Amino acid sequence: MGMKIEDLTVTFKNKVTAVDYASLEIPKGIFGLLGENGAGKTTLMRVLTTVLPPTGGTVTLDGILYNKGNYEKIQRKIGYLPQEVDLYPNLTVQECLEYMGDLSGISRQVCKERIRYFLEKTSLSEHRKKKMKQLSGGMKRRVGLVQALLNEPEFLIVDEPTTGLDPEERIRIRNLLVDFSEERTVLFSTHVVEDLAATCNRLAVMKKGKFLYSGNMKDLLEQAEGRVWICKTAEETMARKLEKNYIVSSKQYVGNELQMKLISETQPETECRSCEATLEDAYIYMTHMVQ
Amino acid sequence: MKQEIKISLPFYKQAYAVFFIVILSLVRGVTYSDEIGIALEAPMAVLAFTFCADTYTQEIVGRRSEIWRLYPMKKRIRSVNRRIVIQEIFLLSAAGVGYGLFFLFQNPGTADIGQNGLEKEICRFFVYFAAVAVTIGFWGLLSNVLSCLFRNMWVGIGGCLFVWLTTNSSIGDRYFGAWNLFSYTFRKLENGGDFSWLCGKMVCICIGIMTVAALPEIMEKRG
Repeated sequence: MGMKIEDLTVTFKNKVTAVDYASLEIPKGIFGLLGENGAGKTTLMRVLTTVLPPTGGTVTLDGILYNKGNYEKIQRKIGYLPQEVDLYPNLTVQECLEYMGDLSGISRQVCKERIRYFLEKTSLSEHRKKKMKQLSGGMKRRVGLVQALLNEPEFLIVDEPTTGLDPEERIRIRNLLVDFSEERTVLFSTHVVEDLAATCNRLAVMKKGKFLYSGNMKDLLEQAEGRVWICKTAEETMARKLEKNYIVSSKQYVGNELQMKLISETQPETECRSCEATLEDAYIYMTHMVQ
Repeated sequence: MKQEIKISLPFYKQAYAVFFIVILSLVRGVTYSDEIGIALEAPMAVLAFTFCADTYTQEIVGRRSEIWRLYPMKKRIRSVNRRIVIQEIFLLSAAGVGYGLFFLFQNPGTADIGQNGLEKEICRFFVYFAAVAVTIGFWGLLSNVLSCLFRNMWVGIGGCLFVWLTTNSSIGDRYFGAWNLFSYTFRKLENGGDFSWLCGKMVCICIGIMTVAALPEIMEKRG
């Protein structure tokens, strides 16, 4: 069944519209939500976790409509890992998870079993007696993930779980999200394109409160096909001119020349060749050139 | 319960509460033992509203409040109430120890020794203990509920400080009399049989019950 969002609008008291008539369907499995800072991702997630009531539109989870009367039912189906959450620093990992499990209403015995299972899955078993404040950023994020899974949610929402982590931890978190998406829906919000490239087949791109794209990764890449160009120049003035006239998705020095990757609907007015689009190029194309 | 003790009573809180009591019992002069309650009640109120202001708001500061939103309200309220009780039991113990420290450091005069003096001193202590229990309970609850309402512990502390300054003053005494929140502090010492100050404590209990009743609604609305 999954989640269905129709014409969702969130306008704050100061008249700022964070989500603007957004519509989206999130099926089972892992689904990426990509967007720049301030695109409205966190606001959307606050609505989906019932923290924030929408101003307009409808949201349903497994056919259950988001309204006050249904919030309790919906909350039981959701697991949430907010961005940079600070879990009880004075508690050990085990105590922290037992406490949060108790708060979510799981019986003590079941909670202990689930903690054991998830700590093993997240390679945290040997750290379970360590205090939360003694853990590294990545370990804390993994504990956060475990707390979100304790009530066995059908819908797991994770907000930028890889921000500030070293490459190894980022990969570990990404892989865990893929593992946990086997039996549930996982909404993975991030502004790190490569995280989604490594995990999701389906994604939505958000900008200024609207969805610019929603669908599978392959179709998104196809949209950018033939619009990504590589050119090399040794002249400073030419480089400046290209930067001024085109969107540059990357640049690097190769020998004495500056190699630039440009996003353009037509071939740039310089010697260049077309190249395969990456997800990052497609994202840049989508957010800068598609209205 | 073990987790709630660790969450609501971190070392720094215990340390500043003990430090506060020790310093107070050293610097606040008393001549007779019946002045100890007066010396302790208002400062204990300050300690209580400072101590309890972050009972729930620490969830907001730690960005855990959005996770809490997914928990059943009954469980959330139960946990907050447990934290309040734990902190207030600690403060009440500190208030009891503080009473003893005044005797230890200042050796105040006990006017009635020799004529059932010990019983009278014990009775005086229990009256103090009951009054300060109500005071600590009231200020702790008020501070927590204000902090939850404004999602900011400093508003809780500031709001309580304003009420404290108003009621713990000659103006407060003049306007509210026996109904003042600090009626025990302003009672007439020379008239030991006068228990009209209980009216003020009843006001504390009534407002305290109201704050407990309002907490679920505030947490539901303010998150």
